[in-house]
Parts: sequence; structure tokens; C-alpha cells
Amino acid sequence: MEVTMDPLFLAWSYFRRRKLQQCSEICTKILHDNPYDQAAWSLKTCSLTEMVYIDEIEVDQEGIAEMMLDENSIAQVARPGTSLRLPGTSQGGGPTPAVRPMTQSGRPITGFVRPSTQSGRPGTMEQAIKTPRTASTARPVTSSSGRFVRLGTASMLTNPDGPFINLSRLNLAKYSQKPNLSKTLFEYIFHHENDVKNALDLAAQATEHAQFKDWWWKVQLGKCYYRLGLYREAEKQFRSALNQQEVVDTYLYLAKVYQRMDQPVTALNLFKQGLDHFPGEVTLLTGVARIHEELNNISSATEYYKDVLKQDNTHVEAIACIGSNHFYTDQPEIALRFYRRLLQMGVYNCQLYNNLGLCCFYAQQYDMALSSFERALGLVCSDEEQAEVWYNIGHVAVGIGDLTLAYQCFKLALALNNDHAEAYNNLAVLELRKGHIEQAKAFLQTAASLAPHMYEPHFNFSILSEKIGDLQSSYTAAQKSEDAFPEHVDTQKLLKQLRQHFAVL
Amino acid sequence: MTSMESGGDGGKWLDAHYDPVAGLYTFSSCVDLADLSGDGENRLVVGDLGTGSSGMKLKVYRGTALMSENTLLDLPAGLVAFFMDLHEPRIPTTAVASGPCIYLYKNLRPYFKFTLPSLEVNTLEQDVWQQAREGQIDPLTLKEMLESIRKKADVPLSVRSLRFLSLETDGLDEFVQLHKQQPIRRQTVITCIDTLKKSTADEDGVSCLVVGTESSDVFILDSKAFIILSKMSLPAPPTMMDVTGQFDVEFRITVACRNGNIYILRRESDKPKYCVELPSHPVGLVRVGKNVLVGCTDESLQGFTQKGKKLWKIVLPAPITTMAPMDLPTRGFQGVLVGLANCEVHLYRDKNLLSTIKTPDVVTSICFGRYGREDGTLIMTTKGGGLMVKILKRTVVFDDRDSAPGPPLAQSIRLNVPKKTKLYVDQTLRERESGVAMHRAFQMDLSRVRLAAAKAYVKALESSLTPMSASLSEPLKMNAVVQGLGPSFKLTLHVQNTAACRPVMNLAISFLYDENLYRIRDPYMRIPLLVPGLIYPVGTFVDCTNDKGITDIIKVFVLHEGRSSPLLTAHINMPVSEGLALS
Repeated sequence: MEVTMDPLFLAWSYFRRRKLQQCSEICTKILHDNPYDQAAWSLKTCSLTEMVYIDEIEVDQEGIAEMMLDENSIAQVARPGTSLRLPGTSQGGGPTPAVRPMTQSGRPITGFVRPSTQSGRPGTMEQAIKTPRTASTARPVTSSSGRFVRLGTASMLTNPDGPFINLSRLNLAKYSQKPNLSKTLFEYIFHHENDVKNALDLAAQATEHAQFKDWWWKVQLGKCYYRLGLYREAEKQFRSALNQQEVVDTYLYLAKVYQRMDQPVTALNLFKQGLDHFPGEVTLLTGVARIHEELNNISSATEYYKDVLKQDNTHVEAIACIGSNHFYTDQPEIALRFYRRLLQMGVYNCQLYNNLGLCCFYAQQYDMALSSFERALGLVCSDEEQAEVWYNIGHVAVGIGDLTLAYQCFKLALALNNDHAEAYNNLAVLELRKGHIEQAKAFLQTAASLAPHMYEPHFNFSILSEKIGDLQSSYTAAQKSEDAFPEHVDTQKLLKQLRQHFAVL
Repeated sequence: MTSMESGGDGGKWLDAHYDPVAGLYTFSSCVDLADLSGDGENRLVVGDLGTGSSGMKLKVYRGTALMSENTLLDLPAGLVAFFMDLHEPRIPTTAVASGPCIYLYKNLRPYFKFTLPSLEVNTLEQDVWQQAREGQIDPLTLKEMLESIRKKADVPLSVRSLRFLSLETDGLDEFVQLHKQQPIRRQTVITCIDTLKKSTADEDGVSCLVVGTESSDVFILDSKAFIILSKMSLPAPPTMMDVTGQFDVEFRITVACRNGNIYILRRESDKPKYCVELPSHPVGLVRVGKNVLVGCTDESLQGFTQKGKKLWKIVLPAPITTMAPMDLPTRGFQGVLVGLANCEVHLYRDKNLLSTIKTPDVVTSICFGRYGREDGTLIMTTKGGGLMVKILKRTVVFDDRDSAPGPPLAQSIRLNVPKKTKLYVDQTLRERESGVAMHRAFQMDLSRVRLAAAKAYVKALESSLTPMSASLSEPLKMNAVVQGLGPSFKLTLHVQNTAACRPVMNLAISFLYDENLYRIRDPYMRIPLLVPGLIYPVGTFVDCTNDKGITDIIKVFVLHEGRSSPLLTAHINMPVSEGLALS
């Protein structure tokens, strides 16, 4: 005779092994037999939540509405080092754009792609709605509708009988009295249904029931307020939760609120406070490093990433960021070490081999450079990645003086990714060397329109125009180049020369 | 007057007065200091330009207060105070040049008006107007005839005829009726004015007026009888003037002209004696001792000798707005004050910078001299109409900081070169040991990469994957921009003909896309004739018909009529459509 396991225990076991689909199926059966089984109901909400759970702290992308219609920004011209919005407020620690390329928002490119490293703050509405080259999707309209709504509604499609819990018929007041059910119910509403307003209602009633003594509910209230864009209220809730109970998560949420309110210095202080209570906490250290990086203070960001590595020597983000910083500060051999470490840890993708190839080439380890690129080409999973690899091979070809190969590589990069502004720029220089002035001009114009944040196309166009005698175009292009990179000495020289030329009789 | 230390220029100047809303809009040529009431206290006389069309005033300041105001009829071109007779008490006369006239004020009251002699009038023009007066020709014919005179004649037309020529047809008749009775006159306009001592070099000696006109002449006027003592002509209209010497003995007039040259006139001849050709237009002319200093539009200050030999040139940090001499005879100091567009006033002796004054606004006029009873007073007016008075400290010592010898400062700044790491040394060792093997491996890899690149390139060319066409007959380039949040996107293709001079015709655009996902409003478009060099934007709308957040590539082909293979292709990665989730 077969001994059947208690179905609830089996479901619980499935849940712990993260076989969430099976778990929820068993719970559905139990509930079919006994609709009032609270344990099964609770377990099912948990498993459904886990299926769509995403880390609230990490996922953070400012939508167009938040960025362009921001009510919280007061100071348009912030003092240097106090705002995340002005990319130019570097404290002198970072490399110049001549050494380290810039992203669209005017920050040096980072070694590790996170949701917020791509975004930056576009200057105009047109820039905001243009598809950025590096991310293959446009920006979400607002973070409270776009992505999150889809995550919530996707699960509804799989359920032919309609939703598991009908929120509109739910008596929130009743559930808020039951602490053992209300927490799982809240997470279900917040993560699975993505109904922030109902979640907020529930949390408000539950925290009242707990006589404002449960820090957990306060954090949840803060999360709801954050989602709704009520940052000041969220700050209040998180602060109050922290007074009751020191939790790393709460620190991270609160820092997120401060970053959204564009108060990086307050966020840094908060992280320091958190590090006093939780010394060596990796997530807090990473947070500090990220803020320093966004403030363009690369050298101190690197210091903090090094601290992260002391605590957790397999932290991919820290290794990648330190590696890229070494690469751009003229120490490719050390960068190579860091990337090799990533390889040893099992990161095995196109981007890594791409970086390895470049590091090998610039560290004069020529025997490994091109084979790394070949590996990278073998591992590509999208056209954009392939374009980047060809672009880098093109750089190597320029380095060894094989201009035919370089020309082919840049053209291939363009064939695979039509918006590759850097490739357009380099191709223009090659065309100019061949004497094809019209072609070079057209490419430079395209590069400048694709990436107005880069100074190179403007500067090259300026030089080209100056050579063919079109001083007016040269002057306007040089001014654009100066806007993109004010410290560029060659641009300054050219501008001075042009001004002299205009003043002479 | 308050005395406050001003920190920016090493405490050389005392801030005496600053009124940012004095409402004084003027230039250095219209500012002078003179003892107008004969009590030994100097007043500030300013020809205020007002708004440029109204509100021109002659203003006199005493201390910090406005003492009197006289309305001027026209924009002042220059203002000088001078002694015209030997009467006691010695009260100077103020001469204001505006338009063709010089207005003289004595005791702050209008006293005399002198008008320059009118110029020769074209006889043909006179005849034509005569005919018009007698009604022999209608206004239209008059206009035609004047037009032909203007083109041919050596003597330019009068202002009236020029105004008439610029009128529309319907206003002609009225104009002729209004003006035909008056005789035609041709007037010149004064551009600059200065004074020249008559026979003695005394401080209060009688002076003549020297006037430069738009008709490229320089007149010297006797101030008693107001007759023209001397007339000299220049190749171009003068803009600035500096006069030295005595009329009866020997004098020298340095004139900066509108053609960018500086001419030096002497007593003997009525033609310029020397000429200096400047590299750019002059904006200021000041004589210091025996040298002439010229500020130019190329942000430079240049020094010349009396005979026009170039001595030196220095480059300034910003464009010059105005210049004025600084003469302190009690201390034997002579220098030049230069107002710059970066809100600074520099004091130079020869080419050495002695003092820098920071001002809250751009200075448009500078005057240095005796004001009130204080000898070293600097008076400046700003672009925003402010008045600033500073007093030179009596204890101040100007020491020449000549350009320091030795290596430039930048040489001692250390460059931030990263240290060579131990790792690097190890790697170079490896290179040294196995250099041959590394080279071989690299060459082999390089051949492989070349092959791979060539293969991929040929594939791309064969299927015209690149966004620029390689064919010599139709060198085209295209790039695509997708804008929007979805479900409707705007797709703009920028097509450009990169040929040197040949246009391209008969082109069309077509798309390849998944019809389950997207709908394009104009799936086939014809491109107009492409002129070389211009960018042609071709736009259409793409609607995303799918709500699952799936994206796809849209391929764009540029086709030539009658050919099956595309000229070029662009792949557009469509962004995720956000719009449906909202609705």
C-alpha cells in the first residue's frame, strides 16, 4: 500500500525547492476540497508571488514621466558634487572623455551595466523618446505603469479561471486583522497583482492594527509610497521603520528614495550610518560605490568597489568596474587580471571576451588578443554585440596599420548596427584619408546626429570644414565640440584660430 | 564719499561711488571732465545717448549728484570741453558734435551752433529736381532718372534723393509735393571731435576744434570766429582721432579710419603723412607719450611710434570695449586703461599690465582725470547704465612686472603618469622570452580574422546589408531614427547622396517586417531626386499591433527602379511598445 504524503507538506517541500508551479497546483487542489484552508491559501499566495518576484531594490528605471515632469527638482544649477543630474559636476577624480568614452548622459561609461547606468537624464523630450543605442528598448513611460503592469498582468493570462484572489471583492479590513495572513496577502497584491493602491490600503490598515509597532508594515508602506512617487511620505515611513529595527533592506530602500530625490550626499551619509551598524555589508558598500560613480568620482568609487571585494571576492559588478577603471587609466595589464578572474568565476559571454581581447592588445599580449575576439564572435547572441566586437577588431586593425581591415570592420559594425555613431566617426576619418571628402562629411554628420554627446564627430567635422575653407561650419561644429567636452585642448586651439581668422581684415 | 578697500586689484583704487542705476548710456568719446563754473572744482560732463532714438541728454555731475541736464536734439558723436577765449573767469565751453552740427554750451546754456559747410551737389540731380518742381516729369520718371544718376555719377546723391529712392511707389507723389520747394543740400556728418591748442601749450590756452567727418575730411575750426582754418582729406571716413601739438607751431593728428588703417596728418600737408595698416579693425586709439596705442578687434593691444612703426603687440583675455589714456602729470605717470568684455579694466604702461580692476558690469566708457578736487579719479560707465567712480590711492606704487625670464610655469607641473606595475614588467619579460612565438600566433590569428572579416564583408555587400551603398553610380547613405513610446512609432529615414556633384533619381523605399506584429502606413515610398550633400528625411508611421511586448526587426530597403537587388539595407531594432499597457 502506497503511503501518500500529506499534500500540504508536499506543497511546502515543492515551495522550498522553488518548484513553484507544482506547489501552486497542489494548493489549488487542497483549496478545491476545502476553500477555507488558510495554510494552503497562504502557501499559494506565496508561491504565486515568488513566481513573479523581482528584487525591488535593484530594479529601478526612471520613466520619461518621472524625468521630464519632475516636481521634486528645485535647484536647476546644483553645486558641484551634490546632484546626480549634472553630469559635468565632476570632482576631478574622473578621466576625461578623450580617454574614457561617455554615455549619452555625459557620464563615463561604466564597467557594469545596471538599469540606472544606461539611463541618465536626457536634456530634451526628443532625446528622451529616441531609442538609445545601447539599450534595445525605449524608456518606459512611467515606472509605475509600463514594466510593472506587464509583469503583473502576464500571470493573469495563464490562469483561465480568472485571478486567484479577486481584489475588488476582498474585505481588506478583515484580512488586516489577521497578521498571519495579511503579510502574504500584501506581497501577493504588491508583487503579483501589482495593485499598489489596494496594497497601500491593506498596509495602512494592518499597521494601524499593529499599533504602529511593526517595522515590517512601515517598510511596506514606504515601498507603496515610493511606487506612487510620494517620496517624502516614503522617507518618513522608512525612517520610522529604521528607528524600530535596523535592517539592511530598509537602508537600501531609503537610499533609493534619496537618490530619486536627487540628494546623493544624504544617501551617502545614510549608507555610512548603515555601515556603522552593519560593518562590511556588501550591498551597502556597493551602494556607496555606485553613487560615487554616478557623481563622476571614479577614483573613490573604485576604492569602495575594492572594499566590496575584500568582503565578497566574487562580486561581479565590483570586479568589472575596477577592471574597466584600470583599463581606462592606462593599466590594461591589471584590467586583464580582473577580467581573467571573471572568466575563472564562470562568467562566459561575448562582452567579457570582447574586453579581454582589447586588454590583451593594449597590454601587448598579441598572441591572445585576436583569438579572444574570435571567441567573442562565436558567443554573440545579438547583432549589437557582434557590431561591438567588429568595432573593437577595427580598433586593433587601426592599431596595426591595416586600414583595409579597419575599413571592413567598421562597415561591418554599421551593417550590424545602423546606429553605431563611433563606427561612423571612425569610418569618416578613414574616408578622409582616402580623399573622399563628401563621404567623410556625410558620415560625420550622421555620427553627430546619432550621438550629440560625443565630441569627436563635431571636432572632426570642424577640422574637415576648416580644411576645405568652410569656416562658418567649422566654427559651429567646434562650438558643439566644446559643449560636449569643454576641456578639449585641440578644440580650444581651433576655436582660437578661427576667432583670429574672423577678426583679421 | 566712502572709502573702501577694493580687493581685486591689490588695493590700488578706492571705491568712491557706484550707482548701478544711474541711467548713463555713453561712450568714452562723449565723456569729459572740466571746471565748468570756474571755482576750481571739476565737473563730469556726459553726452548721454539715452535709448539711442530718444532721451539724448547733456548731463553734468558734481560729486555724486546730477547737477544739470540739457536735452540734446540728436545723438552726440563726441563731446569736448575747451577754452575758446581769454576772458576771465576762465570758464570752458562744452562742444557737443551731433549730426552735421557742433552745439556749443557756455555756463551750461546753449550758446552757439555751428554747421559744417554743405557738400557739392550733383548738378544733374539738381536739374532733375528742378524739372520735378516745374511739373515736367512725374515721380516715377524722377525715380528712374535718379536711379541712373546714382549708378553713373561721381558725386553721390543727396540724402533726400536717397530717401526718395527707397520709398514704395504709392508714397512717391506725396514726398515730391512735400519737398520739391526746398533746395537740395548735401550734408556730411561728424564722426569724431577733438581739440588742438592754438598757439600756446598752456593748460588753459585757447584751443581750436578738430572735426572728422563722414565725407573723409578733417577740419580744423577757429573757435573765435568759427571759420575753417585748415581742411585735410583722408582715404576713408575717420572713426577715432588723437591730436597733439599747437596749430600755429606744429601739430600731429592721428586718425583711425573705417578701412582699418591709421593715418598721421601733419601741419604742412593736407594729405596723410604716414599710414599704418592694421591686421584687424581698431576699436580704441590712445596716445601715450610719443607712442600711439591701438586696441584691435582681434583682442590685441598694439603700440606704434609717431611715424607708424610697430613696437609691440600683446594679446588680451577678452575683446576690448573701450580705451582711455591715464595721465597723472603730478607723478609723471602715463598709461592706458582698457575696458574688456569680461568685466575687467586693465591698466597698461607700455605692454606691462599694472593693475586689473574687476567691475560688476561691462564698462563702455572710461575717463581718467581731475574730478572735484581729486587728481587721480577714474570714472567709468557701464553697459547697464551704471556710473562708477574710483580714486587712485596716493600711496600707490606701480612696479613694472616685465615678463619674467626663465622656463614657463607649466614646465614644473608633474604629469600624472601611472606607474609601471610589476605585472607589466613580468609581461615584458614574457614578451622578450617568447617574442617569436607570440608574433607567429598573432600573424596567424590576423590572417584568420582578415579572412573572417572579408567573408562577412562580402556577404554584407552581396546582400547590400550596409547602410551606405558602395556602388560608384549611386553613392548613398541612410540612417534610421525611431521615436515614440508606442504603439505608434515615428520612423524617420535620413537618406543622403554622398556623390560630389551627381544627383540620384528613380529611387524607392520598401520595408520587410512581420505583419503580425507591425503595420506600416506607407510600405512603399518613392524618394525624390537627391541633390548631393543634402540630407532628405523620409518619414512614416509604424503601429505595433501586438500587446505582448514582443519586438522585432524591421528591414528597410532602398531600391532602384528596374533593379531587383536593393542598393542598401538598414535593420531597425524596434523598441518595446509601452502604449498598449496604458490603455
